[in-house]
Amino acid sequence: MKIYIHIYTQFLVAVLLLLSSCANHPDVPSSSKKVNSLPAIFPDYCNVIVPFNIAPLNFMLPADEYEACVARFTTPDGEQQTYGDGVKVQIPEEEWHVMLDAAKEKSIKVEVWGQKAGEWLSFTPFMIEVAKEPIDEYVSYRLIEPSYVAWNFMEIVQRNLTTFDETQIFNNELTCNDKKKGQCINCHSYQNYKTDNMLFHVRVSNGGTVLVNDNKVSKVNLKRDYTISAGVYPAWHPTAKLIAFSTNQTRQGFYTQNPNKIEVYDMASDLILYDIMTDSVSIVCNDSTLLEVYPTWSPDGKYLYYCKSVPFPVELRDKDITSTYQKVQYNLYRRSFDLETHGFGEEELVYDAASNDKSVSLPRISPDGCYLLFAQGQYGCFHIWHYDADIVCIPMNQYTGTGLTSETASPVDLKFLNSDGYPESYPSWSSNGHWMMLASRRDDGNYSRVYFAYFNNGKVGKAFLLPQEDPEMHTFLLKSYNRPEFMVEPVRITPNEFSKAFE
Amino acid sequence: MKYLHYIYTLLFGVSVLLFFGLAYPHHLHYQEQFQLFLFDSTYVWEIVRQPGGVADLLGRFCTQFFLFAWVGALIIALLLSLVQLLTLRLANYGWLYGLSFVPSFLLWLFLLDENALLGAVWTVLLTQLAFCGLLWLPDGWLRRILIFVAFFILFWIAFGGSHYYRIPNTFPTLFYAAWFSAMIIPLVMWLVVRGKKSENAQQQNSFLTSHLIPLTSYLLVVVVMGAFIWKNANFKAEKVMQYDFMASHQQWNRILETINKEKPNNQIGVTVQNLALAMRGQLVNHLFDYNQNGIAGLLPDVQSDATSPMPTAEAFYQLGMIYVAQRTVFEAQEAILDFQKSARCYKRLAQTNLIIGSYEVARKYLSALQKTLFYREWANETLPLLGNEEAIAKHPEYGRLRQFAYDKDFYFSDHVTPDMLESLFFSNTDNRLAFEYLKAYYMLTGDRDRYTKLLLHISNKQ
Repeated sequence: MKIYIHIYTQFLVAVLLLLSSCANHPDVPSSSKKVNSLPAIFPDYCNVIVPFNIAPLNFMLPADEYEACVARFTTPDGEQQTYGDGVKVQIPEEEWHVMLDAAKEKSIKVEVWGQKAGEWLSFTPFMIEVAKEPIDEYVSYRLIEPSYVAWNFMEIVQRNLTTFDETQIFNNELTCNDKKKGQCINCHSYQNYKTDNMLFHVRVSNGGTVLVNDNKVSKVNLKRDYTISAGVYPAWHPTAKLIAFSTNQTRQGFYTQNPNKIEVYDMASDLILYDIMTDSVSIVCNDSTLLEVYPTWSPDGKYLYYCKSVPFPVELRDKDITSTYQKVQYNLYRRSFDLETHGFGEEELVYDAASNDKSVSLPRISPDGCYLLFAQGQYGCFHIWHYDADIVCIPMNQYTGTGLTSETASPVDLKFLNSDGYPESYPSWSSNGHWMMLASRRDDGNYSRVYFAYFNNGKVGKAFLLPQEDPEMHTFLLKSYNRPEFMVEPVRITPNEFSKAFE
Repeated sequence: MKYLHYIYTLLFGVSVLLFFGLAYPHHLHYQEQFQLFLFDSTYVWEIVRQPGGVADLLGRFCTQFFLFAWVGALIIALLLSLVQLLTLRLANYGWLYGLSFVPSFLLWLFLLDENALLGAVWTVLLTQLAFCGLLWLPDGWLRRILIFVAFFILFWIAFGGSHYYRIPNTFPTLFYAAWFSAMIIPLVMWLVVRGKKSENAQQQNSFLTSHLIPLTSYLLVVVVMGAFIWKNANFKAEKVMQYDFMASHQQWNRILETINKEKPNNQIGVTVQNLALAMRGQLVNHLFDYNQNGIAGLLPDVQSDATSPMPTAEAFYQLGMIYVAQRTVFEAQEAILDFQKSARCYKRLAQTNLIIGSYEVARKYLSALQKTLFYREWANETLPLLGNEEAIAKHPEYGRLRQFAYDKDFYFSDHVTPDMLESLFFSNTDNRLAFEYLKAYYMLTGDRDRYTKLLLHISNKQ
């Protein structure tokens, strides 16, 4: 009896191992009808440029139109492999990475067949170009329902981009000591893409800023009696133990008949500089009549860039902001920074968006300092809810000290990065400057997703969606990917270790 | 006579059934609306992998049937009867037979609370089943090992969790009392009866000791605990839940019948009463025949909880304030204290997104509802409407509500103003509900000028 149990257990383990390691390698349909169009796969990975270390680009044909899908991948060395299980194409990580290695600096040809009403259709093949530049191994984001005011469970997680592994950095249950009030966690931020110096905020119950300083965790209160709030949007100085923050009095309003759904606006906002070593907060700008927000450092740490609102026309100045918010527009400025004295130079206008009836937000300078990336909409600074918001990239060599405008600047062509008519926001650069990342609501207008695009010498590839093991996951996940940030290494501090900072 | 105790159990079960079916049905509906049970491996795994997950999953599985109150009542009756039978099986009670009902009564008492979750009952049941299984095995090394192993398994599948009560960090005293009584009472009885074994043996044949005294103890427990249950039942909340249920199922005539029997005097009741009156075109004429709560009785400010905004959201929806309704429902769902989702909210969010033309978002909600037992059919019927402008325009509900949309956009916060209602009405003067609400608003605020202007405007147009 014991022997039988033993044999049965071994058999079961073997079957499970076999099932978990096996991929479905179906035969290519023997006959099919040719269709002169690219397959309508989701996510759309047709003719994208990807890093050689990215996780498998699993995809699927629409389940309500097709019964089955088969894809044949051909690498430059002539090796071929087919995949397909139902309407999904899911490639084992190991096999995928072998293909990527074989196609580095070249392309993988992908042929797709779809079975519709019993008939096999053969689509126009597409290529996946494999760039030689890797993407940063990790990205972190907050997963949150795209809510209005209330919120439920939220977590900041990190995803290994070379695999499908996703682990939690922190969640809003661990240290929430008043469940009725709830807890909000946000604004995770890293110094130079590394995680030994990082932070995130905890709001409402048990609030504070969780700061990691050389891997030591502490909770700090950044509110001072001379600031309008605690630190909000952070920017780590690239080399010093300094963090620039905006301080904000943020409000929300709702539309009765507008797909933008929510308007997030500031009643007041300033900039501060936090010195970690001395736990001191100094004011960078606090013009009470204007709004300063979204600080970001140049990669050499010599300039602080930020957005600042344009003064209102006199006739609008005393009016309620709920009736004038659509007139609030931000331009991009910078100030030089002296690391020795912590002093800031005179303000310089870098990009005048308002002259073209636009507004900028969330600037980021490329790691080589050569390009400026930001989100732009018609007004305001919270563009992830603005359907007209797009990403703009401007070569910094065009800036000669006089504020650029839409007429004087020649932006990089981002037609393959931006979507047509959906909100795009939160752009950023990978540490090597060859990959752009953004949050976009292009899939349904409501749930933001993370997209990447290749960048090389001012040329930008087609944006592609963060790959998932199950391509349908993006359809069913009712969470938004908020504030995606590149990291070159994982956060190694566990959620429970972060929690100890609250004791 | 040997199986007499089954009749007592049956009587108990029938009492539970009648109580939840007749006196407490809307508490069951309330429970059902705060979860979304999906027949989906990821959903199941996410629950099962937590300590206590199996009991939680079984509880959620059963709760989905609470959509039909009598089925829910039957499930609770069966579970509580089973708990009693297992309590009885674990020991010989003799004269104190009535004590075998104590754990079930305590669970019943626990379930009177609308935040008590059915997973707690399954925890007690799974624990008892494990004990019965272990006692069934012959004494020996195998049983000792299994007892040791069972402790860990039981911890994982049933008792290690914390999802017994909807409000986190709340100690569900009654649940723990029920669980301990289900363990302690049989143990104590086993020790007591074992000590008196010889004495009992002599009295076995006595009718008094074998039937009459156990019956007396049964009746004593039933009367005492039954009275306790009746006293602790929250019939006031049941009434409020009834109004919410009737509004969510758009039972306007039933609402009118109910308010004519007893005029509601709570926030939700008044909101639902006014909505039903307006839906039947009687709001203005009968406004002051019923209790009012000022303008807060029409469209109250949305609070940050999961329950009170729902009837208001229904009014927003019926008025054609679809974006406002969507926001209200979304926020209500986010306020569910144990982070669950709501099938009722998903359904309404699918509808609002369909009406405003956010088809891909509607598809997400409908795709999830396709994985449910009782909302699948509706989701399958609704999916073909996505993107089908002609079919939506012809749809009696969605087509009508689309026509009521605001023709100009503006900004609003948490408080509904007469300007919002005016703008809504003048966007489409066929919107009779908006007309009723607007007039009622002026009547409740005593704004005669605007009321007169509105009537003049209408008469001039005619």
